Amino acid sequence: MITFATISFLGLPLLAILLLNIVRKETGGTISINIGFVVSIIQMIAAVVCLSLLWLHGKDFIEFSLFWDMNATLGSARFSVDLFSLVVLFCIGMVSLASLLTAKKTIGAKALNYTNLLMVIMLGMNGIAVVTDLFSLYVFLEITGIASFVMIALLHDKRGLEGAFKYLVMSAIASALILGSLALIFTQTGSLVYGDVANALADWRNAQYAPLLVVAFVAFIAGFSIKAGIAPFHGWLPDAYQSAPASVSVLLGGIVTKMAGVYAIIRVLNSVFVSMPMINQTLLILGLISIVFGAVAACGQRDFKRILAYSSISQIGYIIIGIASGSLLGFVGAMLHFFNHATFKTTLFVNSAAVEAQTGTTDIDQLGGLQARMPVTAVSSILAFLSMAGIPPLAGFWSKLLIIIAVWQSASVAGGAIALAASIFTAAYFLILQRKVFFGPLEDHLTEITEAKGTISLAAVLLSIVTVAFGVLFPVILNFLHLQGIL
Amino acid sequence: MQQFFIVLCLVLMVLAGGAAVMFRSMLKSSISLAVASALLAAVLFLMGAYWASIFELSVCSGLITVVFVSAVSLTNTDRCSEVRVREHKARVAVLPAILIFAGAALLFILFNSDFNIVASATPASFSAFKEALWSLRQADILGQIIVILAGTFAVIVLFKERDNI
Repeated sequence: MITFATISFLGLPLLAILLLNIVRKETGGTISINIGFVVSIIQMIAAVVCLSLLWLHGKDFIEFSLFWDMNATLGSARFSVDLFSLVVLFCIGMVSLASLLTAKKTIGAKALNYTNLLMVIMLGMNGIAVVTDLFSLYVFLEITGIASFVMIALLHDKRGLEGAFKYLVMSAIASALILGSLALIFTQTGSLVYGDVANALADWRNAQYAPLLVVAFVAFIAGFSIKAGIAPFHGWLPDAYQSAPASVSVLLGGIVTKMAGVYAIIRVLNSVFVSMPMINQTLLILGLISIVFGAVAACGQRDFKRILAYSSISQIGYIIIGIASGSLLGFVGAMLHFFNHATFKTTLFVNSAAVEAQTGTTDIDQLGGLQARMPVTAVSSILAFLSMAGIPPLAGFWSKLLIIIAVWQSASVAGGAIALAASIFTAAYFLILQRKVFFGPLEDHLTEITEAKGTISLAAVLLSIVTVAFGVLFPVILNFLHLQGIL
Repeated sequence: MQQFFIVLCLVLMVLAGGAAVMFRSMLKSSISLAVASALLAAVLFLMGAYWASIFELSVCSGLITVVFVSAVSLTNTDRCSEVRVREHKARVAVLPAILIFAGAALLFILFNSDFNIVASATPASFSAFKEALWSLRQADILGQIIVILAGTFAVIVLFKERDNI
């Protein structure tokens, strides 16, 4: 099982990069995308297999090391996967597959470089999911960041370069904050391994330089909030999402931001900063600001991808308040909303890619009546938006329900009420976008438009099936979690 | 003998830092800076600060260099020749000042101070370095490999392909 996890999550993308650069450049495009398909599908299967093995063996986590010393257990040599990290590893495979399906129709001559960078991003995100050391986490965050801003600028257009530059600058600020925080933690605790730091921080009030630890904590939260695009640290996010090539937007919106920011916050807070004061209150406030700001700002946008970007800021807020509730129910809700957001937001970015590929624009004022011409895109978009707005029985309803109940139960009735009320704004921008893009009279210049056939539609259909199936089967999943004693 | 290597590394580090200021090409400057960081890592290692040495090597020589190289590629380097000449003169003026200051500082430390340049009582050994890097920091080695790959792809995408457009 240990070898299997090492090969599946770390070895395979490295092997893929090797293979990608052996193939001839002239024929490399199609082959590279196909190699990407294989890697992402195997990653999804591997995550499911590891989940099954965890369940069969009754374990909470699997530990593994790298090829040259499989039995290493010290320092950053120890990797670990648990239920949450396996769910996100599955999401990484799923979103990468959707991005590749979109890229097959849209990326053209850049396919080889795109797939190379995708494999690097997958390695970076897989690393974030499996490491047990703060410095290693930082290294893999940087890998993900570097590959991301190169991907945004992949087409060399002015907008892409501008978006990449903003992302680079903000990411550098975040990295400086995180690195400064790591330095302070290391000087005070003498280690950067999650468990060791958590033990050292258990009695942080009696530490010689306790205020330094508080500074480290604040810098950590600020750094990761920038990476996650949580309001008010979100400045780079809409520009980066809007200016990136379609398949890269799918990847960024679907998983990258969540892995580099949200997952890292959840993992570090649950594993390292457990004993620090005001964690839950800080996160609750940040989460609520994100929910309300993202939803209100999305209502005022006129670009399909920009609406989705602000919507991401809002939805990430729900994940954050789930964690802020401090309860197991909230954690499970946040984990499920992480999965659901990866699914419905990827669907919506695939939809925007389809619209852009067929009409040449994502400006919603230039669109209208497309549901007659692009029925698959329209239906999948409606399903994804209904799920995002929390309409039963779709997947988003269940995760939001768990989160709001958890926040309500954690004695923050106002927080729960605000989160619930913000769903009205979610419905508002959902209706604005649907009406402007898919309903109403068909614009004259769109009469010749046809459905985006092939892999883009396939990605939208597959993701819609996941959204509906997960929603319908959710009571069964909830019951399973209950029987396993997880919930 | 160890002191000699430390001083040698410090001198080379100052030279590499000076070269980073002098080079016209920002890419070469970034690489010089990486060399300076690597030499600093060597000094830290010789002084017994293994962890700091590894972090310096990982972060400054590795990650930051890649970030710089990528940032350079996103920057417009076409500038008029007059600005270049003026900036070149400014760099020429700055370099001797840096070298004189650094040299004076090193001489002061070596000959006129009670400060013991070899801070650690633990002797530096290859096995300790190997143990730290190979066994304790496995994830970072993998990370370094991937960072190099990411940097290579960044250069290909942002430099090589730009010339073909």
